[in-house]
Amino acid sequence: MEEEQSATESLSTYDRVVELLNQASLLQKDTQRVNNLKLVQELIVHKEPNLLDNFLDEMLAFQSDRSTDVKKTLVNFIEDACKKDPDILEKVIGNLCLMLGSDVVPVVKKVILTMATLYKVSLQWVCKAKKMSETIEQTWDYVNQMKRDIIEMIDSDNEGFRTHSIKFVEAVIIALSRKTPESIVPASSQIQVSLDQVPETHELLKVKKLEEEGEAALETLLGFMGSVHISSVNLMSCMGSVMSVCLCCSVNLMSCMGSVTSVCLCCSVNLMSCMGSVTSVCLCCSVNLMTCMGSVTTIARQRPQFMARVVQSFETLHVNLPPTLSKSQVASVRKNMKLHMLSLLRHPAAVDFHAQITTLLTDLGATQTEVMKAMPKEDVSRKRKA
Amino acid sequence: MSDRKLKIAVICSSNQNRSMEAHNFLSKKGFQVRSFGSGTHVKLPGPSPQLPNIYDFNTTYDEMYRDLVAKDKQLYTQNGILHMIDRNRRIKSRPERFQSCKDRFDLIVTCEERVYDQVLEDIESKERENPESVHVVNIDIQDNHEEAVIGAFMICDLCALLSETDDLDNDVDELLQEFEAKCQRPILHTVAFY
Repeated sequence: MEEEQSATESLSTYDRVVELLNQASLLQKDTQRVNNLKLVQELIVHKEPNLLDNFLDEMLAFQSDRSTDVKKTLVNFIEDACKKDPDILEKVIGNLCLMLGSDVVPVVKKVILTMATLYKVSLQWVCKAKKMSETIEQTWDYVNQMKRDIIEMIDSDNEGFRTHSIKFVEAVIIALSRKTPESIVPASSQIQVSLDQVPETHELLKVKKLEEEGEAALETLLGFMGSVHISSVNLMSCMGSVMSVCLCCSVNLMSCMGSVTSVCLCCSVNLMSCMGSVTSVCLCCSVNLMTCMGSVTTIARQRPQFMARVVQSFETLHVNLPPTLSKSQVASVRKNMKLHMLSLLRHPAAVDFHAQITTLLTDLGATQTEVMKAMPKEDVSRKRKA
Repeated sequence: MSDRKLKIAVICSSNQNRSMEAHNFLSKKGFQVRSFGSGTHVKLPGPSPQLPNIYDFNTTYDEMYRDLVAKDKQLYTQNGILHMIDRNRRIKSRPERFQSCKDRFDLIVTCEERVYDQVLEDIESKERENPESVHVVNIDIQDNHEEAVIGAFMICDLCALLSETDDLDNDVDELLQEFEAKCQRPILHTVAFY
C-alpha cells in the first residue's frame, strides 16, 4: 500500500517536473523561467532525488538560455545537485567549464563561487571512490584545470573576478591542508574537507602533491596581499617594483606598463606619469584587499598552523597600506582589519601572537575594553602554555 | 544602464526614520528597495530622553501610532513622530529586523557606523547555501527628520550611480570615490559573501 502510494506520488512529481520544464521553455519572462527552474530544483534535488538523473539533461539545456538569471539559477542547481549526489559531477563538470569561459560576467562569478564548494565536493568524492575509473580521473582533471584557471583570475583585469577568485583560493587552501585540534570550523559549514581525509595510499590523489598545491595557493593569497604594498618610493627606487605592481593590475595594463617602464628608465618625468597610471589602478584595490583579509583570517581560524604567517602578513600590510587608497578606503580597510584581528585574538591558537595582535589592534584604534573582551579566558591560554 | 535592477536594502537602527525616509524616496524613484532596522528593539523618542518608547519588531506601525496617540497625542504630533509613523504605515505594515531577513541583496546601505558593524557581524555569522557577494556601504546620517531627508537624497544618488554599471563589482570602488567627492561625507564600504 505504502509502495503504491509512493509510486503514485513519484509519478505525480514526475509529471509536475515535465510540466514545469515544458512551461519554462516557452515562458517569455526571465523571472518566470527562473521560478520554474527553482521549483524543478526543489522537486528533483530535495523531494525526489531519484528523479535527478532523469531530468539532468533537460535542466542543463538551459545553459543556452539568453537570460543571465536563468544561467545563474542553473549553476545553483548544479551545485545543489552535486552536493546531493556527487556522482553527478562527471556529467556536469563540462558544462561548468564552458560557463567559466563565458563572456557573461555574473555567470563566470557564479561559477567561481560554485567551484569553491564543488572543489571540496569533488575532493571528497574522489577520496571515497572505491575504484578509480577513467571518468573519475577525467573529472578530477577537469576540476584541476578549472582550479588553475580560477586561481589565475586573481590577476584578472576585472575586479569582481579577482574578489571571487580570492574566495575560491580560500576554499582550496582549507581543503588542501590539515585540520588540527585547534581548528575552529563554523558549525554551519556544510562540507568539511581537509587533507586528513585523503588516504595516504590513494590511487589518484597524492597527499604530498596536494599539500604542495595548497601551500602554493596560500603563497598566492599572501602574495596578493603583499602585492598591494606598493609605495611610490619603491616605485622610484626600483623599476622592478613597477612590474610587481602589475601583478595586481590588469593584463592589459601589464603589457602597457611594460612598454612605459622602458621609456621611464631614461626619463624621470615619464616615470612620474607612469606612477600616475599605477596610482589610478591601485585605487581599485580596497575591495579585494578586504576580501583577501577576510579569507586569510578564515584560513587562520580553520587552519591554525598558518596563524604565524597570517599575523605576519597583517603586520606587514598594516605598515604598508597602499598609499593610493583614499582616506575613506583606508578607514574601511582599517576597520575591516580591526574586525579580523579581534576575530584572530579570540582564537586559542593565537596565544603566542597576542603581543603582535594587541599592538596592531591598539594601532587600529581598538579600545582596551574591546581587546580585553576578545581575549580568550585565562585558563585557555594557561592550558596551552602548559 | 544594467538590464537588471539592483536589490537594495537600507538599514538604520529602528526602521522608522532614516531607512523609511530612504525607502519611501527610493521606491518612488523606481528602485527595488526594502528597509530594515538592526537594533534589538524599535526605539522612539518618549516624553524625555531617559524614557523612550520601546517596541519589539512585531508591533505594527499602526499599533505604535494608536499607542502614542493614546499616550500623548499633542506631544507626538508636535515632535513629528505621529506624522512619521503615519507615513511608515502607508509603506508597509511593520518594521523589519535585518537579522531576521533571509532575502539577498546586491547593495546594503547603512545609516550609521554602529549599524554597519551589526550588519557585517550578522553577515559574517551566516553561512548560506549558494552565497553571492553583497556591497555594504555606510553613510552617516543623524537621526532627525531633516538629516533623514538629506540622507534619502544622498542614498538615492548613490543607488542611481551604482545602478548605472553593468558590472558593479568591477566599478564600485571608482563609483564610490566619485560619490564621496560629490556628497562630501566619509563613507565606509566593504564586500561580503552571504
